[in-house]
Amino acid sequence: MSDEVLRASGVTHIFGRGNTAVRAVDDVSFAVPAGQLLLIMGPSGSGKTTLLTIIGGLLRPTSGSVLVDGVDITKLSAGQLVPLRRRSVGFVFQSFNLWESLTARENVELPLNMAGVKGREARDRATRLLEERGLKHRLGFRSRDLSGGEKQRVSIARALANEPRLLLADEPTANLDSTHGREVMSLLQGIARSSRTAAGPGAGRAVIVVSHDQRIREVADRVLWMEDGRIRDIGHTVRDPVCGMGVEVDRGVAVVHEGRTFHFCSRGCSLEFQASPERFLAGVAEGQG
Amino acid sequence: MVPIARRNLFAEKGRFAISVAGVGFAVLLIVTVLALYRGWSRTGQIFQEMPGQLWVVQQGTSDPFHSVSLLERADLERTASVPGVRAVVPVMSRQMALSVAGSEESVRLMALDASAGLPVTPELRERFLPDSGKIIIESVLSRQTGLDRGDRAQFGDLSLTVSDVRPAGTEVLSQFAFVHFEDAKQIFGIGDIVTYGMVVLLPDADVPAVGAAIADQNPRLKVYTAEEFAKSIRKEIDESFIPVIAILVAIGFVVGTAVVGLTIYTATIERTREFGVMKAVGASAGFLYRIVLSQSAMLVAAGFLVGLLGARILADLAAEAVPEFATDFQARDIAAVGAAALVTTVIASLVPAHRVNSIDPALVFRA
Repeated sequence: MSDEVLRASGVTHIFGRGNTAVRAVDDVSFAVPAGQLLLIMGPSGSGKTTLLTIIGGLLRPTSGSVLVDGVDITKLSAGQLVPLRRRSVGFVFQSFNLWESLTARENVELPLNMAGVKGREARDRATRLLEERGLKHRLGFRSRDLSGGEKQRVSIARALANEPRLLLADEPTANLDSTHGREVMSLLQGIARSSRTAAGPGAGRAVIVVSHDQRIREVADRVLWMEDGRIRDIGHTVRDPVCGMGVEVDRGVAVVHEGRTFHFCSRGCSLEFQASPERFLAGVAEGQG
Repeated sequence: MVPIARRNLFAEKGRFAISVAGVGFAVLLIVTVLALYRGWSRTGQIFQEMPGQLWVVQQGTSDPFHSVSLLERADLERTASVPGVRAVVPVMSRQMALSVAGSEESVRLMALDASAGLPVTPELRERFLPDSGKIIIESVLSRQTGLDRGDRAQFGDLSLTVSDVRPAGTEVLSQFAFVHFEDAKQIFGIGDIVTYGMVVLLPDADVPAVGAAIADQNPRLKVYTAEEFAKSIRKEIDESFIPVIAILVAIGFVVGTAVVGLTIYTATIERTREFGVMKAVGASAGFLYRIVLSQSAMLVAAGFLVGLLGARILADLAAEAVPEFATDFQARDIAAVGAAALVTTVIASLVPAHRVNSIDPALVFRA
């Protein structure tokens, strides 16, 4: 299995022609390795969602290539993209986009049915995915009867149903209050983190989140800034082991302890850590420091 | 499999019920009209239920039922000598006015001359050969006039007693009543002139060959087989009723297809985003078409059953109110309507399916 889940090279998308042409995505290139949670931020109309749509195989770019799991999806026909989206890409939406007439479990079961998994096996897998996200008591609820946070958790379970390597989330916390927003952020972080160590299904998964929500920076491994269709890397983000805030690697205070580098939001946090490192090390995951 | 088609359809129970009623109405219309046609198509069958294999009428009679055929008994006696003929039974038949309690009702009086060598069985006597002074009527006439067994019916100066009321017969255009031949002679007042000759053949006789021989022997006679005779009576119904039936069936088909199509189309439009999500997460065109087709099929199946049940109830109620509302629900007609319903299912799902196919899955990212 390749370590690189996604590689976008020179991706450009132009809407319209002539004088009315709009360059929504302009020569964008980046790669996302397995286990990474990449956050793409930027103002409204900067081209974030268009980029996500292209990466998800829902829109063909004007030029450039997009490799998902080693396959250049820009060269696939519309018919060939269907199984690729089913197998390799999971989608989480701002407005959840659940199927309203179905129960929570059926919402997760349906993509499995599309992939040929049926009957008890599909039901059991859907149940497990929802139970893992704390929805054991909501399996038979119609999606319209769920709270916003529950809907988004169902949406994440649905996105993971066919064990895709790439999870794309468009403003996943925009319609949620802060508590549920944090829950969802934590879930997305967990999906990326657990895939670093997992073997088999779920291993080597990357998560790309498009959002305005600054809170997601806390859990993102890397942040890209998009403006006028172009992106710039504003660095890797790690968690401050003392206060828990997201810290850009290039901008934070770095401290080396027993051969590992830790990053802090401020000098105060770094001093607190150095005074008693063992108090904070238990909460630091492998590779975070 | 997740029953998404069923869930989508039942999500709007009110609309589903109205749509089922619409399809049911179309099916009811088609099935009832067909059953009515079948019921009316039995007209003339009584001539096939009588023992004669051939019927002779006066040559030149354009329509043996509605125009008057006049035959002399002597012609029929000559016919009896044709090889293969066992007996030629003189028959009197004419539309007559029946007086009951001061009001008049039209009835087709018939009388068979059993004395002309007709092999009489108990069943034949019970249905077609009343004793002198008696009359056998059918239940439709009984309900129209209130006549029952033992009541008296008046034909001119002659008063006859109802000896039996037979179950509803096959005739819609005219109600048949059987009287004794001598009574018919008195009622009609035409002496030795009769209307038809009913030819009973020997067991091994070749029906067409004997018919041809009778026509050759006497050019004043026109010969029909029992089936042709019945068909000639039905001709009026077939020519006037079938075009009407065809139009009503076509209207029913169009109404049914339109109801199903509009319902499924509306349900599809309302769920454009949900179908878009399905496309985005990897649903194939076939998967989506199956959903649309299943919705259509469920709607049509429910409407079909409701329509059939409604048609049966309507036919029973209508027959109670209008005795001439003779229906005959035939399995082949119901099967044909079922096949048409299948066609409706497919046609009605084509436009919505095209709509689903044209949905841009990228819309799922639009808030």
